[in-house]
Amino acid sequence: MVHDTKLLEDLALLEEANSLLNAGFINKEQFNSIKKELPDFKQNSILVQIGFFFLGVFLYSSICCAISLLGIDGSEVFWKICFYIFTIIGITGAEFLAKEKYYQHGLDDAFIVGTILNFGIAVGITSDGYELVIAIFVALISFLMYRRYLYTPAMLIFCCAFTAVLFYGLFEFGEIGKTILPFVAMLTSLGFYFFSKKAIKDLKEKYYYNGLLLINSFCLILFYLSCNYLVVRELSVMLLDNEIRPGEDIPFAFFFWSFTAIVPLVYLYQAIKIHDRIMLWISFLAIAFSIFTIRTYHSVLPIEIALALGGVALFAVAYLSIQKLKYKETGLTFKPDRINNSNAINAEALIVASTFGMKPEVKPQNSPMEFGGGGFSGGGSDGSF
Amino acid sequence: MNKFDEESVKSLLERNFITENQFNEIKAYRSLNIFSLNAELKLFLYLSVLMFTSGIGILIYQNIDTIGHIAILSILLIAIVVCFFYCFKHSKGFQKNETIFENPVIEYLVLAGSILSCIFMGYLQFQYKPFGEHYGLATLVPTIFSFFVAYYFDNRSVLSIAITGLAAYIGISVTPQDLVNNDFHTTQNLSYSAIALGGLLVLWTIYSSRIALKTHFNFIYLTFALHIISIAAISNLLDSYDLTWVIFAAVLALSSFYFYKISYELKSISLYVFMIIYAYIGVNIVLVKFLNFIEFFDFWELFILILPAYFIGSIVLFIKLIKKFNKEKL
Repeated sequence: MVHDTKLLEDLALLEEANSLLNAGFINKEQFNSIKKELPDFKQNSILVQIGFFFLGVFLYSSICCAISLLGIDGSEVFWKICFYIFTIIGITGAEFLAKEKYYQHGLDDAFIVGTILNFGIAVGITSDGYELVIAIFVALISFLMYRRYLYTPAMLIFCCAFTAVLFYGLFEFGEIGKTILPFVAMLTSLGFYFFSKKAIKDLKEKYYYNGLLLINSFCLILFYLSCNYLVVRELSVMLLDNEIRPGEDIPFAFFFWSFTAIVPLVYLYQAIKIHDRIMLWISFLAIAFSIFTIRTYHSVLPIEIALALGGVALFAVAYLSIQKLKYKETGLTFKPDRINNSNAINAEALIVASTFGMKPEVKPQNSPMEFGGGGFSGGGSDGSF
Repeated sequence: MNKFDEESVKSLLERNFITENQFNEIKAYRSLNIFSLNAELKLFLYLSVLMFTSGIGILIYQNIDTIGHIAILSILLIAIVVCFFYCFKHSKGFQKNETIFENPVIEYLVLAGSILSCIFMGYLQFQYKPFGEHYGLATLVPTIFSFFVAYYFDNRSVLSIAITGLAAYIGISVTPQDLVNNDFHTTQNLSYSAIALGGLLVLWTIYSSRIALKTHFNFIYLTFALHIISIAAISNLLDSYDLTWVIFAAVLALSSFYFYKISYELKSISLYVFMIIYAYIGVNIVLVKFLNFIEFFDFWELFILILPAYFIGSIVLFIKLIKKFNKEKL
């Protein structure tokens, strides 16, 4: 760990103070005095962070360009080692920025992600593109990067790489490995889910919380996807070259179907019961994906009627829930939470503009939705909602 | 609920950052164990409107021959009337400042009603041509209608539809995904009108601040204005080889200066950041033009070696700019 743990703990205090400020428990002056008291990282809000991330990428790649210019002579050797050199540059940069107390700033993100990427490419070149080896090394370096710089997105890369290790590892066993893949993935994610849950419970240092939470959520998603009917069926066609003729079905189809249907509902129930917002969102996405799965193989209604009816049904669900929760003061409620209140009104307006905005000078070809001088593309002819 | 939150509050108390009273207040609130579905349910309402209108749109598109025009139009009209009847019944009427409906459903009904009305008018024009060949008018009428709805019901989403309509009237597409695809470089007149539109939007915000009319709309107007002006100017900077690019460089410089001022005034970091990004792109283009002019690229090795230093310089500059902004914001 390169960062000062004291600073990280103060950062958590500052975040807490910020949410208390938004909730109106403390006033602006109080917050500012807290901010002055606590030593701070060089840190940015998300939009600025993205901007600096791109600048960091420019800087990193321009340094790499300059180095290649000096080193390039067309020889094989340089090509083989150049990405290792780039990795070292990345680590140097990340180390320097971390020492200068840059954290969640954008610049440091660029160097850490760049290091992982370059190291992955370097290993890929050395091992002639052997996926299992690449996945193992990427998992290794991203975990090290997480531990050293406490960089949460590196944890996400670690999770993906670890899953890849699992997959490619099973491929080594040939047919059998590919067949038991869904079950192994399911059991592994289940195991890690409870492991991370327990780890969070026993956790003493709060700055590791986000990383563990990420593993936890990742496991939930992987667990659902591992035995989703659509995923299993498409993977079995892809990996095992199983051709599924009409009237036939994949083995254990009944199990996969019931899994697809039940798991999202379990998530939803559990999320509302233990007040877990992340799980709630995962359950929404899982429900949407389950509906998509069912529609893919057993489509009853054409898409447009399904959309319109789905809209009405969703409206009814939301409306009834609002009516029911409107006057509740505790627990589950419709009242905005004072503490976790995210407000995205302006973003919403932009989304409306991008889906329903009017476009000029679309000639009336064969679409009735558009008219000469200014076509109103109201229908939004893609149904990919 | 994150168990560390409680711990953090406790250590804030221990370090005397918050008073005992505040601590108890926070603790009492936390013990209510609130789990608010406010954002989620609103999102559902919003999604349901999007899904329903898209479904209806496609349905009409596909069954145009079988249902009959009159039937479609009357169904649309009924839906619109139902939406707006409900909205008018529950609205408090026009107000000059920000108004919030007690029932959040209304907001989404307003949105559904205006989208359906725009579909209705578009369909009417396509089929029966009440505006004849005046296609501009056919865009303008839904636009004016949307402006009216936006101001009457205080709805930002409808307002942004109205602004895209206004831009469509002068011939540019300002929906976020299409803004860069406009043919600014082939038709220079289009760029001038885009910049004029941006200027008009800015003037309107100044005027409406003066008469205190819906000042919270200013942010949306300014966002559109900033992006329209900057992208029009930058795409002309890129493409023109005669000396007209000087005009656009001047426009970009002026608008950047204005938005620099206004973002401080509104304390809006997003306007500030996008202003900086556009200004930086502009400066770089001019710089490349200059280097090209003195034929510096003959020494491209030197150029590549200098590049990292240039980026470090700009990063230092940006860090300073952001720091200054954050300091003012406090």
